Amino acid sequence: MKLKTFPGGVHTPTFKELTAAKPIKEFSLPSRVVLPLLQHAGAPLSPLVQKGDKVKRGQKIADIEAFISAPLHSPLAGTVAGVEDYFHPLLGRFPALIIENDGSGEEERKDPLSNIESKDPAFLREWIREGGMVGLGGAAFPTHVKVSPPSGKKIDSFILNGSECEPYLTCDYRVMVERPSTILAGLRVLVRACGAERAFIGIEENKIEAIEKFSKLVKDLPFPTQVVPLLTKYPQGSEKQLVFSILRREVPPGGLPLDVGAVVNNVQTSWAIGRMAEEGLPLIERVITVTGDCLKNSENIQVPLGTVLSDLVDFCGGWTETPQKVVMGGPMMGVAQTSLQVPVIKGTSGFVFLNHLYEKKEYSCIRCRRCIDACPMRLFPTMLGKFAEYQAFDEAKENRVLDCMECGACSYVCPANISLTHLIRLAKAEIMRRSRKGKANG
Amino acid sequence: MDEELKLVITSSPHLRDETTVPWIMRQVVLALLPTTIWGVYFFGVSTTLLTILLSVGSTIGFEALSCKIFKRPLSVTDGSAVVTGLLLGLSLPPYAPFWLPIVGGGAAIFLGKEMFGGLGQNVFNPALVGRAVLLVSWPKAMSTWWVNTPFDFSTLAESGAASLGVGMVTTPTPLGIVRMYGYNALHQVDPHILWHLFLGQVPGCIGEVSTLLLLVGFLYLWWRGIVHWDIPLFYFIGLSLIAILGGQSALFYILSGGAVMGACFMATDYVTSPISSKGRYLFGLGAGAIAGVIRLLGAYPEGVIFGILTMNALVPFLDRLLPRRFGVGKSEAKVR
Repeated sequence: MKLKTFPGGVHTPTFKELTAAKPIKEFSLPSRVVLPLLQHAGAPLSPLVQKGDKVKRGQKIADIEAFISAPLHSPLAGTVAGVEDYFHPLLGRFPALIIENDGSGEEERKDPLSNIESKDPAFLREWIREGGMVGLGGAAFPTHVKVSPPSGKKIDSFILNGSECEPYLTCDYRVMVERPSTILAGLRVLVRACGAERAFIGIEENKIEAIEKFSKLVKDLPFPTQVVPLLTKYPQGSEKQLVFSILRREVPPGGLPLDVGAVVNNVQTSWAIGRMAEEGLPLIERVITVTGDCLKNSENIQVPLGTVLSDLVDFCGGWTETPQKVVMGGPMMGVAQTSLQVPVIKGTSGFVFLNHLYEKKEYSCIRCRRCIDACPMRLFPTMLGKFAEYQAFDEAKENRVLDCMECGACSYVCPANISLTHLIRLAKAEIMRRSRKGKANG
Repeated sequence: MDEELKLVITSSPHLRDETTVPWIMRQVVLALLPTTIWGVYFFGVSTTLLTILLSVGSTIGFEALSCKIFKRPLSVTDGSAVVTGLLLGLSLPPYAPFWLPIVGGGAAIFLGKEMFGGLGQNVFNPALVGRAVLLVSWPKAMSTWWVNTPFDFSTLAESGAASLGVGMVTTPTPLGIVRMYGYNALHQVDPHILWHLFLGQVPGCIGEVSTLLLLVGFLYLWWRGIVHWDIPLFYFIGLSLIAILGGQSALFYILSGGAVMGACFMATDYVTSPISSKGRYLFGLGAGAIAGVIRLLGAYPEGVIFGILTMNALVPFLDRLLPRRFGVGKSEAKVR
């Protein structure tokens, strides 16, 4: 099997054996859900319901008139308890709709979608937006935006991202193994919506079962589709690296795969879209991995959005040792959490509970080049880190610091344990702040 | 649910691999062991072991002393002083007077490293700084070569052999002979000179004579992912080009003197070599070429030291050569 890959990157231990073989369990509806009004990359939403309103499962409860946004739907039938500032896994605190389960189980479903290939692409994009679809890989970028090629740009290739390169996470793998036909239904909608002629499904070669399942099923699709086995290497699931691995095209700095004729979507996004096509349910649930070295039972769980983390810990049987760190997402790019009260949002791919944290002494940089070899964007992280330390932000910008996607490979390999990713993040934030300020003054 | 959790908050990534600075330094020391053992065996324990130990002891001692003077945390545990001391010891002649490695170690650590701010901050390779100071200050002590008689090339040297106990004589090195009498003369003395240079059966510095064992050490580091092959390769290309232009044997230039040690262990020093790939090619090429030019035209028979030190000074400039930016250039043509 010839494996495709990209230059740079790192081989981390995967820790996937904790949950890879565990079938997806369904989490029963909680007594209440917490739904932050910002769960995607884009504009925050305004609530469409008020305190005391009755809502049905699947009913749209928040939206906004902005292209880069996606509406929110209620994952359960119940009563709106209000809008409160609440823990947010990425933003600290943010206003959230709180809905209490009334046990009625009333539902509002859309009509299933048939004859996908005869639908108008513009109609499908609007249909995707109305389903509240965003990228479920973690970045939560609104899906309808990704499948809307700007005028004059032609999309020839659609790529389904089944890499799941973050250690510990197995939710995408389980969805691929257990629900491949729904994923392919979603793929048909996505391909039709963006106008691609062909599709690729990129899967890391450590997920053999998923590769085999899809290789059999793709023959029945109405467009040419190729399953592409990829070398297991982090960050294979990064859009730019995936496009390069499969198409040998480089997405320009600051650009999107659209700029090189490609659209990339996560397999679980495709599953959610396929589910809406088959069952009429919008994005109100997703599959996440709750795992770690100190959790009693690590699981892959299908949860309603808005489920609070402490309920998930109970579902997993609590912990064997007290965790030192709780990370939302994978350990390479995930965000450390301050509280177990955070809700599951659309971009939550999992929670990792860590008790044994790395202990590594910090030294001066010895210029060993490991960070440079690991950087998938051909940057010099050690140089950028020094510019950040000396607050030499113009030099950092000249040396392409904004090309960094913060994958963390440089910090991971650094033998001197310098927090390069963190320093680079600071430089990027400061440069962005200054450029916004410059615009405001001009 | 227990809400008394004290959670650690740091920014991502939340994993680290196991490689550390001291581990890397230990691997370098390990890689230098074959040539060290050969040097001690070939030149004799009594003439070499003390030199090496004094050199390592001196670098460690001076580093500890500098940390105290400059009020820095004690840094000897990172292992870099041991590497510097070993490299310096291996580049001294056998039977060096006892104070030579001590003074050299002091110059290496104090002038070459700590004055710049310690590990990672120095511009010049510390071991080479120490060696250069010794070579310029005590040229005689640094170029008196004692060797066991079977590998004695002294029949050619007018000054003749000064004998020291049983079987030990001073002798010129192959590079010295070529410098004075030409390559043909050397070939007359030893028809298998290239083979002897490869194996390490020639007079020279303690750890620099055996190309074979130096390459074994280098390959170990390469296999461990610690060094790249790029600098040595371009070093040998640069050196060969000058040798050929000067009408010399390229192979002899590579095998003799400190070229292999310099290319594989001195020019590849992390701190003082470029991080830019393009910069590294030029760095290797330049260091090799300068060594060749000094051998050909300079006052010293050997030019490895000054070749690398010169290129060390150019590293900040060479590091400005960035690779092609991701998504810019070449690939744009492919996109429709």
